[in-house]
Amino acid sequence: MVGLSLGEKHFIQGGIAQDIRSDGRKRLTYRPINVETGVIPQANGSARIRMGATDVISTVKAELGKPISLQPDKGKVSIYVDCSPTAAPMFEGRGGEELSTELSVALQRSLLGGKSGAGAGIDLSSLVVVEGKICWDLYIDCLVVCSDGNLLDALGAAIKAALSNTGIPRVQVAAGASGDEQPEVDISDEEFLQFDTSDIPVIVTLTKVGRHYIVDATTEEESQMSSAISISVNRKGHICGLTKRGGAGLDPSIVLDMISVAKHVSEQLINKLDSEIAAAEAGEDES
Amino acid sequence: MEFVSLEGFRLDGRRPMEMRQIRAEIGAVAKADGSAVFEMGNTKVIAAVYGPREVQNRTQQINDQALVRCEYSMANFSTGDRMRKPKGDRRSTEISLVIRQTMEACILTHLMPRSQIDIFVQVLQADGGTRSACINAATLALADAGIPMRDLVTSCSSGYLNSTPLLDLNYVEDSAGGPDVTVGFLPKLDKVTLLQMDSKLPIDIFENVMQLAIEGCKAIANYIREIMLENTKQLEYRRGI
Amino acid sequence: MAGQPGTTPTTYSPSPTTQKTRKPIFNKDDVDWVRPDGRGFHQCRPAFFRTGAVNAASGSAYAEFGNTKVIVSVFGPRESKKAMMYSDLGRLNCSVSYTTFATPVRGQGSEHKDFSSMLHKSLEGAIILETFPKTTVDVFALVLESGGSDLPVVISCASLALADAGILMHDLVASVSLSCLGKNLVIDPILEEESYQDGGLLITCMPSRYEVTQLTVTGEWSTPKINEGMQLCLDACSKLAKIMRSCLKEATSTSQE
Repeated sequence: MVGLSLGEKHFIQGGIAQDIRSDGRKRLTYRPINVETGVIPQANGSARIRMGATDVISTVKAELGKPISLQPDKGKVSIYVDCSPTAAPMFEGRGGEELSTELSVALQRSLLGGKSGAGAGIDLSSLVVVEGKICWDLYIDCLVVCSDGNLLDALGAAIKAALSNTGIPRVQVAAGASGDEQPEVDISDEEFLQFDTSDIPVIVTLTKVGRHYIVDATTEEESQMSSAISISVNRKGHICGLTKRGGAGLDPSIVLDMISVAKHVSEQLINKLDSEIAAAEAGEDES
Repeated sequence: MEFVSLEGFRLDGRRPMEMRQIRAEIGAVAKADGSAVFEMGNTKVIAAVYGPREVQNRTQQINDQALVRCEYSMANFSTGDRMRKPKGDRRSTEISLVIRQTMEACILTHLMPRSQIDIFVQVLQADGGTRSACINAATLALADAGIPMRDLVTSCSSGYLNSTPLLDLNYVEDSAGGPDVTVGFLPKLDKVTLLQMDSKLPIDIFENVMQLAIEGCKAIANYIREIMLENTKQLEYRRGI
Repeated sequence: MAGQPGTTPTTYSPSPTTQKTRKPIFNKDDVDWVRPDGRGFHQCRPAFFRTGAVNAASGSAYAEFGNTKVIVSVFGPRESKKAMMYSDLGRLNCSVSYTTFATPVRGQGSEHKDFSSMLHKSLEGAIILETFPKTTVDVFALVLESGGSDLPVVISCASLALADAGILMHDLVASVSLSCLGKNLVIDPILEEESYQDGGLLITCMPSRYEVTQLTVTGEWSTPKINEGMQLCLDACSKLAKIMRSCLKEATSTSQE
């Protein structure tokens, strides 16, 4: 997929070993992150994130639904990723499906917490309108427009930005409906509720090239990886999800070391992302 | 339903012969050989072009001209109510074919034998006229990729509602079930390369409606030319010439 | 075989009304709750492996962990499809499917779309793909009954089937998962425990090389807890690998007689 000559491979590997990468970054430096919110007016919230040539769009759509019977006090959130063929010709037809599923599952694992809903970045109980009867279903749809490595981190950041941008209409429940009846609701056009996005974790992918780990790898660098671990960390420094990619085996002690490095990196990333999102939101309000 | 008010305004406040605001941007997809974003009002599409490059599937190779392929896809969030459609449904297959044929007609395919050009169009927001927006975006992307073309093909749609010809229908007007004429036009050669119409229209009125769409195409062509000139100036400036 | 009639009656009543009355299997304040099947927190279900379950395949294995029953068959190495590009390395093609009757609610197994790619990622690091260039090995796993910890059982069983097929591997791949319920870590969870878990951790590893080939974590974890969970799983993996090894040895010794 990525055609690299032997010389180029050595150049990338050598650069990483000496802590100066092909584009001049250090091993643990991110590319500049560009956040744009409200790009899709039809959705309840949306954001576009660009990191170098990687370009993703994330949207949030809220619909009223019924909570599942096992968890009557929780709303539902689902995440879907679509890889547009504009990003790479290989995503044509059904070609992107495998990667799409992999990314969707990894994002669900990182952001939605365990089956019981514990540890989820989004507070599911805040989505309930009437317990057991009505709740908000959040559909988070992501689109990969251009891919230059590190898709998972970008998608995670885009979802966080899109949720910050999301306004859920305030719902008035008509009184009087009792028993098994489905209560009538009145959706407000003017009042919107904002999400508390401070607990949503960020995803940090550490790519292992040779003996070193790098963050925010480009496609070329990813082609040289032996394995990668995507770790989602929240503000408290707790791990909210972890996915390993790449087939090569890792010593357990290296895994633990990567987790501690990721925690360290995530602190900077959260702050950087928060300020970028705030700037984007402020910019949108002005225009 | 009343689509044109007594004062002569349409639902979104436009005059019958007024187009929605158009905006184009070259180079939206960094990794592609050529790419562009094209917006017509709320309709927003991205086109990316890969090629000319080696033919991927040898059986499809054509010995005296380039193989042009096109895929049209809609993002899940592009329509008002969210739905997950399987890829390659009838509608997108048909639009892919229409775009492919339109673009193939204006690309100088004989200059690039045994090679392949891929055009991918992605709809980010659909509000009527996606077909036209896709063709316009594809033209810009092909030009950005430096692929030799006979002319810049542009497209615009027009309709006929409340006995008034309307230019550039939006989603509400489009779904009214009235006639909808989509024209693909080569402005320099003054030739029509694509013509599609739903529903029925008397011939004399059809001429008017089609003429209106052609005028729309010409206006878009002027705009596209401006954008490309601007882009070329930028490139020139960056090179320091 | 190890069926446990009567322990999970709710699995036979899929109508939502009865599910609503299903009680949580443990109380958060209750310190000394017992697991539904009476195991200790750090005790795995008894594992049963048998190779050679499918005659037509080049290698196959059957595994049974409590109620979880899977069968994996391996075909190949066979010639890669003509359309594929030349490759120095062999290709691995994995697919995990559920029988329609595997889950309490019919046809629910299709929810696990990612299992195939997870199986692929867990195995590719262990197989020496250089030994069969230009060719493809197919691994088909079928979950006959889903009783919790399906993916780890599938992965362990698949590595056994690969060994049975004579595909060269660096090491056997053993896989164990654990669930975090409240403050407790329970290893090798059953379906009921999985549906209430606050977090989960899955490790696949090559025990003799002491290398992790796949690791996924869901839910919120602190670092010491991850350490503890990983250690538990790794220990369990090495014990599981011994059982797998003895199963292989048994199979060869019976065939020699």
